Amino acid sequence: MILRKEFIHIFRDKITLFLVLAMPIALVLLFGFTISSDIRNAKISVLDQANDSQSKKLIEKITASGYFQVVSYPNNEVEIDDDFKSKNIKLAIIIPARFEESLSNEHEASLQVINDVSDLNVASVLNNYVRAVVHSFTEEYNSKTGETTPFDITTKMLYNPEMNSVYMFVPGIITLIMILVTALLTSITLAREKETGTMRMLLITPVKKIHIVLGKVIPYMIISFISTIIILVLSVFVFKMPINGSIPFLLFLCIIFMLTAASFGMLISSISSTQLDAMMITMMGLFLPTVLLSGFLFPLNSMPMVFQVLANVFPAKWFILAIKDVMIKGAGFFDIWKYLLILFAMAVVFISFSLMRLDKRN
Amino acid sequence: MTNAITIEHVNKVYDGKVTALKDVSFNVEEGEVFGLVGPDGAGKSTLFNILTTLLLPDSGKISLLGMDVINEYKSVRQIIGYLPGVFSLYPDLSVEENLQFFAVMYKSSIEENMELIRPIWKQISPFSDRKAGKLSGGMKQKLALCCALIHCPKILFLDEPTTGVDPVSRKEFWDILKSIRTQGITVVVSTPYMDEATRCDRIAMIQEGQILGINTPSAFIRDFQGKLYTFRSENIFSLLNIMEQCPLRCNYYPYGEHCHIAFYDDVATALPQFEQFLQEQGQSHGEIIAIDPSVEDCFIEIVQMRNALNQTQP
Repeated sequence: MILRKEFIHIFRDKITLFLVLAMPIALVLLFGFTISSDIRNAKISVLDQANDSQSKKLIEKITASGYFQVVSYPNNEVEIDDDFKSKNIKLAIIIPARFEESLSNEHEASLQVINDVSDLNVASVLNNYVRAVVHSFTEEYNSKTGETTPFDITTKMLYNPEMNSVYMFVPGIITLIMILVTALLTSITLAREKETGTMRMLLITPVKKIHIVLGKVIPYMIISFISTIIILVLSVFVFKMPINGSIPFLLFLCIIFMLTAASFGMLISSISSTQLDAMMITMMGLFLPTVLLSGFLFPLNSMPMVFQVLANVFPAKWFILAIKDVMIKGAGFFDIWKYLLILFAMAVVFISFSLMRLDKRN
Repeated sequence: MTNAITIEHVNKVYDGKVTALKDVSFNVEEGEVFGLVGPDGAGKSTLFNILTTLLLPDSGKISLLGMDVINEYKSVRQIIGYLPGVFSLYPDLSVEENLQFFAVMYKSSIEENMELIRPIWKQISPFSDRKAGKLSGGMKQKLALCCALIHCPKILFLDEPTTGVDPVSRKEFWDILKSIRTQGITVVVSTPYMDEATRCDRIAMIQEGQILGINTPSAFIRDFQGKLYTFRSENIFSLLNIMEQCPLRCNYYPYGEHCHIAFYDDVATALPQFEQFLQEQGQSHGEIIAIDPSVEDCFIEIVQMRNALNQTQP
């Protein structure tokens, strides 16, 4: 019955309903098309000291990738330096002399890549592009000559060989949406009952507290589940994101995380007495850490130790780790049961704490 | 008569500072309409919250129909109906949806208890599709009363049900309470309006967390100590200052558009002295008429006497 009433609340509040369902679509499209960290046609210089057929092939491959635009072919390393300053190139590649010879005779070849690291993000993305291109060049060379491992490429490119940023942001957006919809709306709806005094009315009815809470939480979990499916459908069909793991397991993971998010929302509502309080605390205490400390936008291992430790407290980090494993690596239950356990344990702790607070008669 | 409610030595202090209730003890008999009368901030709502199991007292013992509100709160919740001081229904749900919701919460149905709520339901059913938030103040309270009665409670708690309600609706509301009483439901009602208190079977006067007295309204009026007079004056409030110099044993206070004065000396001599005093102070006034005290006059007298007592025994 509380469930039904909650749905009436939701459907009466058309603006919120619209926001909740439209937001995932907007976010995915926004991230997908504009905040994409893919870089196209970056200006580069190539110093070809070998000038043989294989080096030409490699240059051609680099140009054809679409990531790079070769703006100059300098003759020595001093000119490369000038290119960085005057031509605003982002990266320079030096192909050493005897490139083809070392490939065919020594089964080994090396490349030197010089980066403009004034923009760290761009540099690392471009660096990875180069590696990807060289990797595919190697494979092609292998298949033609029938030889094995002529190229000593130390960095392996797993799971996301094209450095596609969709892979990064889809799990992040699913996390954000679920935190927003489930945690924020749960905390607001419970705080609203407190604010209007109806929570007291509910409490003096013989209905069990856990039923009150479940009745309030489940509708938002359903809505956020729908949002999650919208995001997944969009990312698969619009951005061609693969789902390598099993889809039922992925949805199960999402449900567990929703439970955690909802319990976090309950926790927040148990310490706030008005809807405004609940909203502010959710934004500051949950949403910001989710964005900043989950590893979604900023890599965790480059953060100061304090933040790395702090990140463990927020469920988002664990969920993002888990969902990436499932979606991209195709992990199953036994690969990520630890993350599931952590999320579930968090939910249990939060729920019991907020039930205790709700029961407290003072 | 058995007791529906027994309250023994209940104390409540908020945050270790604000004393809300101080050694409150009284009984409410089964089937009576019991009024809790006192100004805002007297502790009425605190007492209601404790009685309805929403708040724990610091000390003291309360039982409703023999059940302890602290330990047996779950069974207490089954038998009480509560209408809180602030509107506490869902504003975005319609009248009928609200009622339906609370009926199901109590595992009851509207039809089952229609007999009990029929007189009220008749008045609000024309608006059954309207959102509860869009009702007038009186209608809101009638709906809230319906919701509080929907599970046929044994004891009904009404926290200031007529605050912010127009006079006509207030009268209707009290008529409804009378009809509920005939169903054998004990009603505890708080109100800051003293005129409503006369409609209760018994009233408890409460101020600053303390019970000042408990009696029937007529007994309060019978026990009024002074001789009460009323008159009209142009300067009701400036008279307050002047009266400090009045040598008579009397108690003057503004009462609506009138002035009330209670004499505690022989009226035959006090009344002419008072008129002379007003004349000396250059105060014109209307005719001074003897009247019967109201519950409010009784309340003022009791508070006044208590203050006087506290001053002599610091």
